[in-house]
Amino acid sequence: MEKVTQFQELWIWAEQRNGKLMRVSLELLSKGRELAEKLGVRLAAVLIGDQAEAMARELISYGADKVHLVEDARLKLYQSDVYTNILEALIHSYSPGILLLGGTTIGMDLAPRVAARVQTGLTAHCVDLTIEAVNGQPKLIGTVPGWGGNMMVQISWKDRYPQMATVKPGVLDKPVQDEGRKGEIIKLQPHVKDEDFKAKTVDLVEEKIEGMPLEDADVVVAGGWGMNAAGGFKLIGELAGVLSASTAGTRPAIDAGWMPEEHMIGSSGKTISPKLFVSLGASGAMHFTTGFSKAKVVLAVDKNPQAPIFDVCDIGIVGDVGEIIPSLVKELSTAK
Amino acid sequence: MSLDIVVCIKQVPDPQHFSKITLDPVKQTIRREGIPAIMNPLDRHAVEEALRLREKYAGKVTAITMGPPQAAEILQDACAMGVNDVILLSDRVFAGADSLATVYPLAAAIQKIGKFDLVICGNESVDGATQQVGPQLAELLGIPHVTYVNKIENFADGSMTVKRVIEQGYLKIHLQLPALITVVKEINEYRLPTVMAIMEATCKEITVWSNNDIHADGEKIGLDGSPTNVFGVFEQKSTRKRNMLKGTPEEVAKQAVQWLRKLEAM
Amino acid sequence: MDFGLSREQEMLRNMVRDFAEKEIRPRTAEFAQPEGEFPFDICKKMADLGLIGLPFPKEYGGSGMGHVAYLIAIEELAKVYPGWGSHLRGFGLVPAVLEMHGTEEQKKTLLPRMIKGEILSCISGTEASGGSDVAGISTTAKREGDYYIINGRKCMITRSTITDVFLVSARTGENPRDISSILVDRNTPGFQAGRLENFISTSRTNFAGEVTLTNCKVPVSNLVGKEHRGLGAMLTGINEVGRTGGAAMLVGLAQAVLEIAVKYAKERHLYGKPLTNIQTLLFMLGDMERNVARARWLTYYAGWLLDQGKTYQEIPGEIAMCKLDASEAAINVCLKGIEILGGYGTTPEFGIISKFKSALDMIAAAGSNNISRLVMSNATVKKYS
Repeated sequence: MEKVTQFQELWIWAEQRNGKLMRVSLELLSKGRELAEKLGVRLAAVLIGDQAEAMARELISYGADKVHLVEDARLKLYQSDVYTNILEALIHSYSPGILLLGGTTIGMDLAPRVAARVQTGLTAHCVDLTIEAVNGQPKLIGTVPGWGGNMMVQISWKDRYPQMATVKPGVLDKPVQDEGRKGEIIKLQPHVKDEDFKAKTVDLVEEKIEGMPLEDADVVVAGGWGMNAAGGFKLIGELAGVLSASTAGTRPAIDAGWMPEEHMIGSSGKTISPKLFVSLGASGAMHFTTGFSKAKVVLAVDKNPQAPIFDVCDIGIVGDVGEIIPSLVKELSTAK
Repeated sequence: MSLDIVVCIKQVPDPQHFSKITLDPVKQTIRREGIPAIMNPLDRHAVEEALRLREKYAGKVTAITMGPPQAAEILQDACAMGVNDVILLSDRVFAGADSLATVYPLAAAIQKIGKFDLVICGNESVDGATQQVGPQLAELLGIPHVTYVNKIENFADGSMTVKRVIEQGYLKIHLQLPALITVVKEINEYRLPTVMAIMEATCKEITVWSNNDIHADGEKIGLDGSPTNVFGVFEQKSTRKRNMLKGTPEEVAKQAVQWLRKLEAM
Repeated sequence: MDFGLSREQEMLRNMVRDFAEKEIRPRTAEFAQPEGEFPFDICKKMADLGLIGLPFPKEYGGSGMGHVAYLIAIEELAKVYPGWGSHLRGFGLVPAVLEMHGTEEQKKTLLPRMIKGEILSCISGTEASGGSDVAGISTTAKREGDYYIINGRKCMITRSTITDVFLVSARTGENPRDISSILVDRNTPGFQAGRLENFISTSRTNFAGEVTLTNCKVPVSNLVGKEHRGLGAMLTGINEVGRTGGAAMLVGLAQAVLEIAVKYAKERHLYGKPLTNIQTLLFMLGDMERNVARARWLTYYAGWLLDQGKTYQEIPGEIAMCKLDASEAAINVCLKGIEILGGYGTTPEFGIISKFKSALDMIAAAGSNNISRLVMSNATVKKYS
């Protein structure tokens, strides 16, 4: 497959909030690096904020060859009009071929506006990005889940640049950091007028999400009576913690007082369809399993190899929950 | 103050029946015949918010949808909720469009409707879920936008303040009108239509516009106007995989995390 | 012949479905509690949406969408909680009688308020002598000037302790069939709601009991229909709303059980495969669907005939047939559902047993199955001469 000739740079938009880079921006650098190598182009990041030079260096340490840095006190918080204007100007100056953004709530706000501004194609929620050879030419292909995950759709872009895509946080791996890595930081002075801020962000308020309804949780960790010997709720809570998950339980778990009634899963409790459902120490009786039959992925841990839970899981582990869960917690913590 | 509000709504297959959608492997097309269609759930919240604003500030609410003739059904639903006017934008030349090629005709239609203060959309649709139409429509209309709106805090002449959700909190944004917002379900609880409203809605005549009425640029619409295309589609079998892991606790933990990554569960 | 729902019937069905999911499903445990206050708020919401007024004319606050629409609404409620399907039907019994037989005054003052849910009413015919034997009653109403003095005891009266207006059947003449239908307000001195029955599906939401009338003095203007000709008036309500509505409720609960059984059979594995692989069980599911479909079409047909303007005297067979069929279908479906769910069939979590209880209580209600069979069979014989 030939290297690409129409453009020289692949960009990722690095999102910062409150002076900290969003993790997804780092994850994009790993995919960006992979694609850039395949296409024979340089990998650059665009960073907009205030006093952001340290973050620019951080981006280089995670793999960016170049960082386009735009700083202004008025741009500390996300400002949709002005961020769009800035990206437009940068795109016109440097003609990147591909622009990747993290699918955070803000990335999903910015990406479409920029795409419409520069009149190019945008594919949202990619779970993978690859280069395929089409007639000997390298072509970017984005894979997007469709119809509730029952289908995978592959999207291609026409030759209008930059080809844009958003990727959900957590899908890609974070690259290994190399503090000694060298790269270029190009500072840009933005032409920003106060009138430009037609949708002006005046405040960012942090709120810890207490008691998100179980039905809305992406990840749910549920415990059954088998957790009793392993200390009850404690390990359920620990695993939920590292997975940023909501906790739930079977009837016996609720009756034991580990969790309130609203956390019960099953035919007399809640029916949920999270991305990931983890069942710990529950044998898998029908009135429990019917509550999560639509979960995308089910991970089950139980000591009984004959437990019916293993009929309805994607990943099954037979073993002592008291040993397996701490190992999982450890592995997941280091993977972060 | 009197507000002119436009709500963009979309007819989508009922997500309860998504598992019945199949793929024609030869034609590489989605088969969704016989799947019941509904108004995109978030669009019901969008209509509700428009109606609440009208109740508070007086004015007019127009609902518009772009789709095949069957999409008139959701306009009837919007009528039954209480909107003043409904428009169906329907033309074969719009078909096969990605989000950018969709907003061209929509923007042209909204400009034809005339003066407006606010455009409201649902934050995403259950079928495409790209979340792109709102911001791109705002761009073509030349107005500011805010997505993920969960509360309209303040409405003064010519501007409004909104709260928009972020991962761990919210942003407070001052928005100059005319503007576009996309709403999330937490913004309100939508009303159900009464029997009388249903009977009146099914009698109402629906305005239908084709491209002859709005004159959208042929090169920017439909399949040809779409800068992205479908390259391929394949089905994901949804039976449980039942991968039983073996080894020491440390080993199975490693394997489990690898599997979770592979299955995109994390 | 168009078997499709009209667009407005479809929109109505969607609305009632949404209402049931939003307002009823989250509170089913609460509604099923044995004791507690009656959930008046649900009545008001149903009335505000226009559900009670579906078969009644606009002139009196209804919408006139028709009987089929009304049956659809009852079915959709019953799918989620049979007792609320039963109530939607119950609220329409006396209005149906008034619409056909009431004086203009009665229609103007009472119908709109009943349709708005402001007045809850019920038919009070049953006595210890029997419910099916509508003429075998002992309650008397003695004419004294401009009043009736009513004495008697009725039993199994729906919502006895909270109903506002009772349509009471009472003897007003010497002949055995001289029976009148008279409206009695619960606040009438001498009127007493007494002991409640303990049916198998009795709860704080659905209950029935005894009412006694001791020298209840009621104005003559409360007479509905002609004096001594009250049975015919009462039967309008019993047949044109009670029987068809009862059938719709049974269809709704049977549909719910069918869906529970199919879901279970697809998820539960036995011998390494889902239950649907076992042909015996697979065939049961098919037969359950057939039962529900048949009962539904018979019920909708009866509703359609009413919408064409037929009265119960013209279509007694069709009306009786749909109630009988729906009752047998629902019981059959519930039993099969219990078989399919195995040991879990009668546990409360899966929701079949509560529906089954409602179905059992409907055997004798709304025109008992055997009376329906009698009416249906007589109509058959009459039909083919």
